[in-house]
Amino acid sequence: MTRQIIYPEPIEQAISAIESWLESLGKSNVLGQYSLSRRSLALLLLQKDPTLWQTLEQAPQQQQEIEILLTVAQNQLQYPLDLAIAETRQKQARDLEALTIQTTKPAANSFPETLHRLSVNPLTGFPILIVILYFGVYKFVGEFGAGELVDRIEGFFEGQINPVVNQIVAQILPWQPLQDLIGNDYGIITLGIRYATAIVLPVVATYFLMFSLLEDSGYLPRMSLMLDRLFKSIGLSGRAVIPMVLGLGCDTMATMVTRTLETKRERLIATFLLSLAVPCAAQWGVILGLLAQKPAALVVWGGLIMAIFLVMGYLSAKLFPGTSGAFYLEIPPLRLPKLQNILTKTWIRMKWYFWEILPLFIWASVLIWLGKLTGLFDLIIRGIEPFAVAIGMPAETAPVFLYGFFRRDYGAAGLFDIQQQGGLTGNQLVIAAVVLTLFLPCIAQLQIMIKERGLKTTLAMIAFIVPFAFLVGYCVNLSFNLLGVSL
Amino acid sequence: MDCHQCQKHCHSVKNKPSWWKRLTKKPPSRQMLARDGNIALVGTPNVGKSVLFNRLTGVYVNVSNYPGTTVEVSRGITKIKDRQIGVIDTPGMYSLVPISEEEKVARDLLLQESLDVVIHVVDGKNIGRMLPLTFQLIEAGLPVVLAVNMMDEAENLGLKIESNALTMELGIPVVLMSAALNRGIRELKQAILQSLSSQSKPALANLEVGK
Amino acid sequence: MNALSKVKIGQVQTVAKLGTQETTVRRKLMAMGITPGSSLIVEQRFPSYIVKVGYTRAALDREIAATIFVN
Ligand SMILES: Nc1nc2c(ncn2[C@@H]2O[C@H](COP(=O)(O)OP(=O)(O)OP(=O)(O)O)[C@@H](O)[C@H]2O)c(=O)[nH]1
Ligand SMILES: [Mg+2]
Repeated sequence: MTRQIIYPEPIEQAISAIESWLESLGKSNVLGQYSLSRRSLALLLLQKDPTLWQTLEQAPQQQQEIEILLTVAQNQLQYPLDLAIAETRQKQARDLEALTIQTTKPAANSFPETLHRLSVNPLTGFPILIVILYFGVYKFVGEFGAGELVDRIEGFFEGQINPVVNQIVAQILPWQPLQDLIGNDYGIITLGIRYATAIVLPVVATYFLMFSLLEDSGYLPRMSLMLDRLFKSIGLSGRAVIPMVLGLGCDTMATMVTRTLETKRERLIATFLLSLAVPCAAQWGVILGLLAQKPAALVVWGGLIMAIFLVMGYLSAKLFPGTSGAFYLEIPPLRLPKLQNILTKTWIRMKWYFWEILPLFIWASVLIWLGKLTGLFDLIIRGIEPFAVAIGMPAETAPVFLYGFFRRDYGAAGLFDIQQQGGLTGNQLVIAAVVLTLFLPCIAQLQIMIKERGLKTTLAMIAFIVPFAFLVGYCVNLSFNLLGVSL
Repeated sequence: MDCHQCQKHCHSVKNKPSWWKRLTKKPPSRQMLARDGNIALVGTPNVGKSVLFNRLTGVYVNVSNYPGTTVEVSRGITKIKDRQIGVIDTPGMYSLVPISEEEKVARDLLLQESLDVVIHVVDGKNIGRMLPLTFQLIEAGLPVVLAVNMMDEAENLGLKIESNALTMELGIPVVLMSAALNRGIRELKQAILQSLSSQSKPALANLEVGK
Repeated sequence: MNALSKVKIGQVQTVAKLGTQETTVRRKLMAMGITPGSSLIVEQRFPSYIVKVGYTRAALDREIAATIFVN
């Protein structure tokens, strides 16, 4: 009594033919491993299902026979088989819907509906996008997360925790280097854990909170459709908007999510842009905090990164053969986010992020400590110094670039530290911020890049990114000097 | 979307498929976990499968308001009366012939795993658009239960769905529900139990359904 | 028969033909309810096309919209 869809006669004939043919094969049937009915398998074969077709390749004889049945059916129809099959189902579905659903009242023009109109109309939609970015990103994450929260927690560390830790290690550990491992300038607690909890975590937490709100309200697909044309010009499509926005939170997560992009070319360009010109929340949050007092510097940094994102996207779109993927996306209704879901999601992401960075930050502290102890650290620093000086930075910033090598956010946090001690001019801040933003992705992101895109591609990207970052720093410094700019 | 969560937080979940596949031919050890059968939640993207999975199993998987949130399979256990049943959340799929990677993940699950009940979750506002997948699941000989979700939104739009007529026409159990509001979960569990017990004897008869 | 790029905004149209050559695009369109015989409303064209089919909304780019024909 289960309802059976009846397809047009030629298709039904083909189905019965394939069914009885499958039956006649008995044990030698290579499709026998699948737990679907014969009718279903027959229909999938008629639609040239890739997986089944591949399985059939193990038995070329069987494949040939199916091919013949397929051609016979196709010849009796005016349009493609898969279309005919889909249309039959759709028609039955429409009939059944008409039979079982009644509209009791006309749909009223609701508030979410109005909000939807405003959010996608170009006249109001782009301003809304800017307002969301301004309040959500700049005000909330930048000023509140990276400003307020970081200052508070950082102050708490400097005022309450670090002195206590330093005191304790001084008392219980008799050996100076051992004291330095835990406390003092580069200690596991005073540097590693402090960076992770005081500088990185508040920024990342506020960003994930905001991102969850965007996700649950249904705004992101609308953002995709608003930005599709722009993204087409850089070889991507509106579909790539979601991973890019996620990348502003954590590039590692975003690189994983590039899986949802449909073409290989799109995945490649997206991965490249994520690792070059999309700073993660910890990074841009700290930079925003650093440049907050100098609006001009902030604008120069933001403008430069945006320009590099677009230009490099445009160039890679020209370089890699192919066209942008087609853009089609279902737009769900705007919904009121559920508080519990927002909190759970933010919490889970925060936890993930924290446990991801904490060991790395601790390792970095240990490595720096080892380096200092053996003198290797100073050797590397001295190697980096000429580069730092070449792009107009004081020699003391060399370690920051080394930190940046461990993690982008770690480098940014280091920069934050130097600035706290009050050492950099506006120009220098901008240059350091630009170079660090473009500089190598963090280790976790590299791992994912290798996993998703392969070692060769990843190495090629790095070989481009590192010199490019310094070159841009050099050029920016040069033009500042030539134009007599002083921010 | 966030597969990292599966990798980092639910190690057991993430690691399952490899040994799971090896064990599919030896049901006894698999029943340790899902003693009384396995059910899968399938359907078009963004219809509330992951919310429902969360309600049934208590395991949190990412839920967001756009298509393509889930890209990997998650597993959990639900208790109905004294039964312990395995529940599988899948990425959204539009039809049995996959287009994108995550659709393939869901389809391959249907192809390879023996499931005792398949719950097709649909959006009550757009039944007509989603029924073709129901037809395909029925055609495949799978034991389908239709979960018409988002009934709150459908009602707000003034839609009235005759679930009895749907049951009659389709020949499968139909449950109206709103997973996000916790409505209809009990009825769904009831339907799952019934479906499980009604097929315990002629489990293979399903394969004959498709003529 | 008109392409979507030619029709009036806000009017109910009946889909006559999906002209796209790509099977994947055609399948996705059909999955979103855009199939020959179904009715749809074009809600806007810029920056992307938005069409409403029943209670479903879908965004499409120009290139795809140009291959959908309505009566
Ligand atoms: N109003 C209402 N919203 C719901 C209901 N069920 C789910 N939602 C919302 O629908 C959206 C999608 O839910 P998910 O559970 O992520 O959907 P999914 O089917 O898992 O989606 P994919 O993983 O993309 O395939 C979320 O914003 C939910 O809050 C419901 O019964 N009523
Ligand atoms: Mg899901």
